[in-house]
Amino acid sequence: MTRKSFPSHATGGELRDLEQPGYYGGFSTVSQKKSWEQATRNVVTDRIEKVPPIRFFSQDDAALLGAVIDRVMPQDDRSVERMIPILPVLDERLFKNSISGFRYEDMPSDQEAYQLGLKAIEEMARERFREPFVNLTVHRQELILKSIHDGQPDPANAVWEKMPIHRFWAMLMEDCVTAYYSHPWAWDEIGFGGPAYPRGYMRLENGLPEPWEKDEQRYEWNAPVDSLSQLEEQDAPPEHQSLHGHGGSH
Amino acid sequence: MPHRLGPMQILPSPMKKFAADECVDYCIVGVGSAGGVLIQRLARAGLRVVGLEAGPFWDTEKDWVSDEKGSHELYWNDLRITGGTHPLALGANNSGKGVGGGSVHWAAFAPRFHPSDFRVYTEDGVGADWPISYWDLKPYYELLEREIPVAGPAWFPWGDPHGHPYGPHPLGGVGDVLVRGCTKLGIRSVAGGPVAILSASHGDRPHCIYRGFCLQGCKVGAKASTLITHVPDAITHGAEIRAHSMASRISLREDGRVDGVVYFDREGKEHFQRARAVIVSGYAIETPRLLLNSACPGHRHGLANSSGTLGKYLMAQAGNVVAGRFEELIRLYKAPPAHALSEEFYETDPRRGFARGFAVQTVGPLPVAFAKQMTAAMGAWGWGMRRVMMDYNHWATLGVLGEILPWEDNRVELADEKDQHGLPVAKVTFNLHDNDKKLIEFGKNKVMEIMWAAGAKQVVQESRFAHLVGAVRMGSDPSMSVVDKFGRTHDIPNLFVCDGSILPTQGSANPGLTIQALAARTADYLIQQGDATFFSNRRDLTEPGIRYDLSPPYTRFKGNPRIA
Ligand SMILES: Cc1cc2nc3c(=O)[nH]c(=O)nc-3n(C[C@H](O)[C@H](O)[C@H](O)COP(=O)(O)OP(=O)(O)OC[C@H]3O[C@@H](n4cnc5c(N)ncnc54)[C@H](O)[C@@H]3O)c2cc1C
Ligand code: SF4
Repeated sequence: MTRKSFPSHATGGELRDLEQPGYYGGFSTVSQKKSWEQATRNVVTDRIEKVPPIRFFSQDDAALLGAVIDRVMPQDDRSVERMIPILPVLDERLFKNSISGFRYEDMPSDQEAYQLGLKAIEEMARERFREPFVNLTVHRQELILKSIHDGQPDPANAVWEKMPIHRFWAMLMEDCVTAYYSHPWAWDEIGFGGPAYPRGYMRLENGLPEPWEKDEQRYEWNAPVDSLSQLEEQDAPPEHQSLHGHGGSH
Repeated sequence: MPHRLGPMQILPSPMKKFAADECVDYCIVGVGSAGGVLIQRLARAGLRVVGLEAGPFWDTEKDWVSDEKGSHELYWNDLRITGGTHPLALGANNSGKGVGGGSVHWAAFAPRFHPSDFRVYTEDGVGADWPISYWDLKPYYELLEREIPVAGPAWFPWGDPHGHPYGPHPLGGVGDVLVRGCTKLGIRSVAGGPVAILSASHGDRPHCIYRGFCLQGCKVGAKASTLITHVPDAITHGAEIRAHSMASRISLREDGRVDGVVYFDREGKEHFQRARAVIVSGYAIETPRLLLNSACPGHRHGLANSSGTLGKYLMAQAGNVVAGRFEELIRLYKAPPAHALSEEFYETDPRRGFARGFAVQTVGPLPVAFAKQMTAAMGAWGWGMRRVMMDYNHWATLGVLGEILPWEDNRVELADEKDQHGLPVAKVTFNLHDNDKKLIEFGKNKVMEIMWAAGAKQVVQESRFAHLVGAVRMGSDPSMSVVDKFGRTHDIPNLFVCDGSILPTQGSANPGLTIQALAARTADYLIQQGDATFFSNRRDLTEPGIRYDLSPPYTRFKGNPRIA
């Protein structure tokens, strides 16, 4: 599904192809699935094995959104067979019109918001670089997306006058991180222990691993040095209070 | 297969089924935090009760998973509209749908309100006073702490100091950070509770296994939800709970009394449940929505709305999350998210320049929730998101829980949009006022200071809100409130409201324990009033006296420890 853009469109150095990025080499949550109970095992295994087909987006929109997702949730460091499906998960949500219980009064429905957002991104690409978004270099794609991230679309587009740009961005990011970080391969990457019923956790303090977890082994970061999506120290966006669909905490 | 409520607990069967045209004593709309306690008490007292619940009757083994994304169905996902200067995120951020309601996905922090919370107007000249005092509710706090039960420190020093019937939990990495940061700054903190999570097994419920999935529903049965604490006892005593039953309208008779509830079943078929009295316990959004949707001749602006305050004075609490990155590993996903707190800043301090205060609490976002917080707190995206998430195990998160005052312009109304049954959905409007903004600014900075003091190398924060209450507030003045101190509407003698929506203010304690304590008290009142509720228009405002004999099993011989 996901297009590999490095090194062919690289703007930076070459990336190593990793079966499992992150600092927990050899850690596998799925290898523990025999100690999970049935309902959880089914849900997590289905996520790996049953990737839903594209039903909501047209072929063109799917290609465009796929290219956007490759930049906002890049996976170029992952080996091809270890790519985490994001577009199909988002497509399924919109196809089923599964919402998170509310809509901001200044936003259209989630389905319409995506359609409008994609239209704007494509128009911005053509206006600024005279090419469809999917054909742009990674750097140019990032320029467009960064301007949306910053809330200062360059070039301006009529869509953003009707739809609050930060809300669209928040929804896009939340959909992407939900698909990515709910996947067990992402849990392996970040060292999250995953489901733990009925076994539970017993080493609560000092960040110690359970016997089946791995300790951290840090190494040099494997990401393009000149990507525009690298963290900047003072990068907190202006405050927009509650985000699109964030969960509760306490 | 039996209907399971945990590894050791099974739903009693068969459940009583009332005939379609049978008139029951009480019809309760919504079996959540409040509804679950009410229905149990009324059934034990021998009353004929039906609970209508819009969501499913959870089988915890089949329906719940140890997985963030897979738990989406626990929440109220139907459409609501949100607006105002500071629009509230709803859905997963606020309310549940299904037997147990919000107690299914709460973090289970269970602090009491402080005595000052009941006298905010008298003491600070802002907000409102409650029509009852802390001391009226205190015996119910103690009783519910034994029923659900609450684990925590032997000595809880703030408000009315008290101890807890179950011992405190071991600390996780985030709790360590809270206690360390607070201690460095000379701020008192407590560890291991108060939380409605078992530190030792209780009846047919095992103790916590520290797996950190509390917000996804506790499959273990260690965390209290009314689904497992009160509903089984209600069923044993002859209550009927009808799941997938969405109340659409409360019906009013010509004599000005209600006579039942119209509802839709799973297939969208309409039914009418006749009842001698109705109690609405549908949460601070759905309760006012149902009353507004029940407008009829004589009640043009919503049922029981002669005061014009129905839907108004909605409150949330400030719930800013402060995240700190540490050199060492924390692994914040272990242990219940709720396990340590400080209420050192709870009360008004005139030197701070605003009224009321806030609490500091541990939170424990799992990877998806944490990544969303990083979108907001750091503007993370692309490779930046991947990088910050690779350090997930180095972060600790603390929450501000700040009091936001009741304001008339914060409200629930009906929107133009309709739901799948053709009913207008709720529109929620939320604006922050000057006092709220000052309080949030101070609270956020204080918690960031604690995080730095604990040794964080980087500290960021995200603004958010939690815990909607109010909008159908109680009071002694019928022109300023919707219900009296027992939850009876001022306008209709056999219509009651009992849930978080009746709170006049909400302090900076999580509201769940208070909501359940109020429900037990209302139940005692209804039972003591007997048939008078059904026939008489006389409003008796004497306290009913607490009924210790109506608790669910395993409550007796548990005690609240002596502390002085
Ligand atoms: C993520 C999260 C964490 C939380 N953590 C804590 C915490 O640590 N401590 C704490 O004290 N509180 C916490 N809370 C808040 C707590 O869950 C709520 O305050 C509490 O559950 C509200 O109780 P209630 O009785 O008012 O409503 P609910 O418990 O929400 O119950 C309402 C019920 O009514 C049903 N209903 C609504 N309308 C209808 C209708 N028309 N017909 C039929 N049924 C209907 C709903 O489906 C629901 O089951 C948390 C909340 C969230 C979202
Ligand atoms: S941490 Fe404890 S209370 Fe929370 S879900 Fe796990 S077992 Fe239940």
